[in-house]
Amino acid sequence: MKLILHYLKRYKGLLVLNIIAIFGFALVELGIPTIVSDMIDKGVMNQDTDYLIRMGLLIALIAVIGVCGTILLGFCCAKISSSVTRDIRGDVFAKVQTLSHHEMNQFGVPSLITRTNNDAFQIMMFLNVILRTALLTPVMVIISFTLTIRASLELSLIIVATVPIIIAGVLIVGKISGPISDRQQKSLDSINRIFRENLTGIRVIRSFNNDAYESRRFDKENTNFMKQSKNLFKLMSATEPVFFFLMNIAALCIYVTASVMINDQTLQVGKLVAFMDYLFHAMLSVMLFCMVFMMYPRANISAKRIMAVLDTQPGITNPQHSRLPANTQEHSIVFENVDFVYPDGDEAVLKNISFSAKSGETVAFIGSTGSGKSTLIHLIPRFYDAVSGKILIDGQDITSMDIYKLREKIGFVPQKANLFSGSIADNIRFGKPDAAMDEIIHAAKVAQAYDFIMEKPHGFDEHIVEGATNVSGGQKQRLSIARALVRKPQIYIYDDSFSALDFKTDAALRKALKTEVGSAIVLIVAQRVSTIMDADKIVVLNEGKIAGMGTHRELLKSCPIYYEIAASQLSEEEMQYE
Amino acid sequence: MNDKINFRTCIKELLKYVKPYRFKLSIALLMVVVANLTFAINPLMEGKITTQLSEDAMDMARGVSGAHVHFDAIFRIIVILVILYLIKTVSQLLTSIFLTDAIQQTMHDIRNALQKKIQRLPVKYFDDHAFGDLLSTVTNDVDTLSNALQQTLTRVFAAILTFVFVITMMLYVNVWMTLIALMIIPLSILVTRFFVRRSQKLFDAQQKAVGDLNGTITELYGRFNEIVLFNKQKDSIRQFKEVNENMARSAFQAQFVSSLISPFVSLITYLTIGTIAVVGCIFVINGTITLGNLQAFIRYVWQINDPLSQVSQLSAQVQSAFSAMSRIFTLLNAQEEVRRGNTSVDTQNIKGKVTFEHVQFGYEDELLMHDVNFQVEPGQMVAIVGPTGAGKTTLMNLLLRFYDVKGGSIKIDGIDIRDMDREDLRRLFSLVLQDTWLFNGSIFDNIRYGRLDARKDEVVDAAKMANVHHYIRTLSHGYNSMINEEANNISQGEKQLLTIARAIIKDPRILVLDEATSSVDTRLERMLQEAMQKVMAGRTSFVIAHRLSTIRSADLILVVNNGDIIEQGTHEELLAKKGAYEKLYHSQFANRNFD
Repeated sequence: MKLILHYLKRYKGLLVLNIIAIFGFALVELGIPTIVSDMIDKGVMNQDTDYLIRMGLLIALIAVIGVCGTILLGFCCAKISSSVTRDIRGDVFAKVQTLSHHEMNQFGVPSLITRTNNDAFQIMMFLNVILRTALLTPVMVIISFTLTIRASLELSLIIVATVPIIIAGVLIVGKISGPISDRQQKSLDSINRIFRENLTGIRVIRSFNNDAYESRRFDKENTNFMKQSKNLFKLMSATEPVFFFLMNIAALCIYVTASVMINDQTLQVGKLVAFMDYLFHAMLSVMLFCMVFMMYPRANISAKRIMAVLDTQPGITNPQHSRLPANTQEHSIVFENVDFVYPDGDEAVLKNISFSAKSGETVAFIGSTGSGKSTLIHLIPRFYDAVSGKILIDGQDITSMDIYKLREKIGFVPQKANLFSGSIADNIRFGKPDAAMDEIIHAAKVAQAYDFIMEKPHGFDEHIVEGATNVSGGQKQRLSIARALVRKPQIYIYDDSFSALDFKTDAALRKALKTEVGSAIVLIVAQRVSTIMDADKIVVLNEGKIAGMGTHRELLKSCPIYYEIAASQLSEEEMQYE
Repeated sequence: MNDKINFRTCIKELLKYVKPYRFKLSIALLMVVVANLTFAINPLMEGKITTQLSEDAMDMARGVSGAHVHFDAIFRIIVILVILYLIKTVSQLLTSIFLTDAIQQTMHDIRNALQKKIQRLPVKYFDDHAFGDLLSTVTNDVDTLSNALQQTLTRVFAAILTFVFVITMMLYVNVWMTLIALMIIPLSILVTRFFVRRSQKLFDAQQKAVGDLNGTITELYGRFNEIVLFNKQKDSIRQFKEVNENMARSAFQAQFVSSLISPFVSLITYLTIGTIAVVGCIFVINGTITLGNLQAFIRYVWQINDPLSQVSQLSAQVQSAFSAMSRIFTLLNAQEEVRRGNTSVDTQNIKGKVTFEHVQFGYEDELLMHDVNFQVEPGQMVAIVGPTGAGKTTLMNLLLRFYDVKGGSIKIDGIDIRDMDREDLRRLFSLVLQDTWLFNGSIFDNIRYGRLDARKDEVVDAAKMANVHHYIRTLSHGYNSMINEEANNISQGEKQLLTIARAIIKDPRILVLDEATSSVDTRLERMLQEAMQKVMAGRTSFVIAHRLSTIRSADLILVVNNGDIIEQGTHEELLAKKGAYEKLYHSQFANRNFD
């Protein structure tokens, strides 16, 4: 609610118009019964035909005014709700751009997508209802109650008596339906999960002939979902008939009371007719208002989910007073006693890591899964910040550098290469927006991507579709390497970027890269010993600690963990290499 | 979905699923009729009170002696009304109960049918259809259909009934006034059509804008790493702003134009009510109709207005329900794989001899595999090697008949696999894939998945054989530990071991292993290798091999490139040949310096 109010503030003018429009609408809905009642009381009772026609024209006039009001209302609603939703979306999106990896992982990409799109959509729907109905209800109720009281005070009391019953009823229904709706949602998630498992495991399931088992598993959850849905729908659809029944009974009470009053000649029949119409409209708008209550929980959940994003404080921000290292030809990167714990973890992932690399050197990191090698290199572009210790680039602590300038220095090739929809050239140019075509071609050649690009029907203009399904995993990796190369960065980081390549391409690529790096520093994370055995320095990581550091040969002798890894991958001849 | 099905087929298909619940559904619809009937009579009865009161009041006003309100008459009407209200409410409640039951049961059945269908579609189907789309059919589309039936069905039905009943009642009150009132209908339809035609285009544009927005968000969030690394935050905000603006614009247009329908339909109604009020009052003065009937008549006009102003909303719901239905039934009607074969095979007696004879295959029309021939004796181990994307997995896909060959044949113990029942064929195999598929359930259930009737001790034995028993024992709940939704609470290597245990418990004749090495640490790798060795003993096995030791010990090595087998033989034979294998061997395993 706070969220919506916050954004509504920007559209005060439209909001005022919206309320004016509502009065226009109320005017017709309540004005017509009033006039009809006058027609009966004065026109019919006095048999005054002229008066009837005059009143008829008045109805036409009011109708036109009312319609103008309704059109204006439609305009305001559409304008406000679409604008507010746009603003919310824009802010959420901009916020996401400032988040660090930790917050990003906490939310999860699918969840953020839903928050930006579906949750904002829920808000729009809710806003529409509020602007139309919720604002209308008080106006209608106040006016029609005033009119009913003017028509007859005694009869009004009966209505007043029913109002709390109705509100209580709605609250109760809301209270009961909430938990059922939750259970239904959870069950739907399970259905989704099982179905997704069925899709991803299609070959395994078939190879085990387990389709009947899967169907049973699915049916169990499906039946549960059906039960919850039945309960929910029955409850919801029972509300309306019961409500109208109460209303009808109240109307009968009014008729009885009215009969007595007419008998006492304290009430005119026309007034009664009008009264019944006011009642009808007032009740209807109360009912609509109740719908707002029923929609509120859902919109509230969405609003909370959006607020959670907007209220997140990014863990990693740009330093206020940034300093940059002096521009030199010689580069260096130094880790000094770096410790790291994931923000939501208890155990240190990296412990007391120290090493250094200088211009032209290649440093490789190897170790089993969970040894912390990927985490280590993620600290360099500040995906995360070290808990203690320092990382220096060209002698400057990276946390005191401008974060954008820092990242400009780095050519990072992630483990899982992601491309964007657009041409191949655009994707490579992503690394350097002003890259000339020959730079792009050169990068592609070095990355061993040129040949397959030229085999595509449109070459560099070949369009990469959404999700990049029209290039293979190895091709994706090579394009993402080209994308890093075109930047001519001062630090290259390859995060296990050669795993999808076959050994032949891997070898050719490494050879080409060697000539390309010049004075840059190369950091490689790898699984294969063959990928890194030529590195100037190999850092062996084990459970977050450095277990050994040196060249391939040195490590084979000095580091048992390295020896073990190498033995499982290399041929005997190679193990005897030294 | 290329072959879309039309509206009639959709309804026919839907009726098939509704049929078991036709009794409940008919009761529900009958109750709608009852409720609407009482709904139509009510204003007239209420009007009778007004008439009675006004006559009595007139009498009193004229000073007729002894004039008073006839409470007995009014009381009679009220009793009738209470009964009518009760009938209406009860029948509405019954409608909701029976309708909900019938519809939710139907939806349950459709979901089950979809799940079963997935199991019967050829694997190729999933190459052509995105998982996301299929998932969306099971959840969103079925949900849309359910909502449409739950709400729209009764509303459309009720609207039609309202028309019929209300018009009948109106005619009963006064023919001339009815003719005036009925002017609403053609006028409203004209107005509605005018706006619907315009808003439809705008809604389509909005739908497209939603799609664009979603696509952009998905891409930009999914590529978060790249955006951060390449400092593209500003660019992406700019890119998003564009689609977001576009979205807001089309949402506004669609909403505004469609919101115009209701005021214009209302205008017609208001004007009609005005006319009728004037004419009706004159009729009352003439004594042609009673005052109560006039009141009732005006109520009727409002009642007709209601469904008319909802036409556009309803038609949008019907539209979306129809497109949901068409997706559901297109999926349900898709061609299934043939399950029955024409020879019955005693799977117990199969030895496990595998022959590929002149096999041709391609995923699309173009052939990938032109002429593949090889033979494997029972118990032999075959290593398949070749660069990424060369077609190693394709060979296995053909062997398990996930795809059918385009030419030639694959035989097991001399029987063409196309002549076997698929179930029989697959009973012969266990599959260990690099992509370890486990489901959200206990470890015990996941191992037993290989043979559902396996006893507890058999599960433990399989785990022991797969070198994973000790690991399981270290978990706090042992075999009852749950594998969570993303299956990320255990490491890749341990998952692989579990899939091996699952393969072991099936005790298959033929084993297919995709040797996974890249994401497994050294200790586990050794355990994996041991486990694989044990399970391969005495079985015909196919290994998509990355490890030198596996390749060397193979009885037969198949070298695959560009879909075809280019060389085959043992390690020594192939090395001696000095062909593709020798080259591959040197580039892969015999590491040389970069230069």
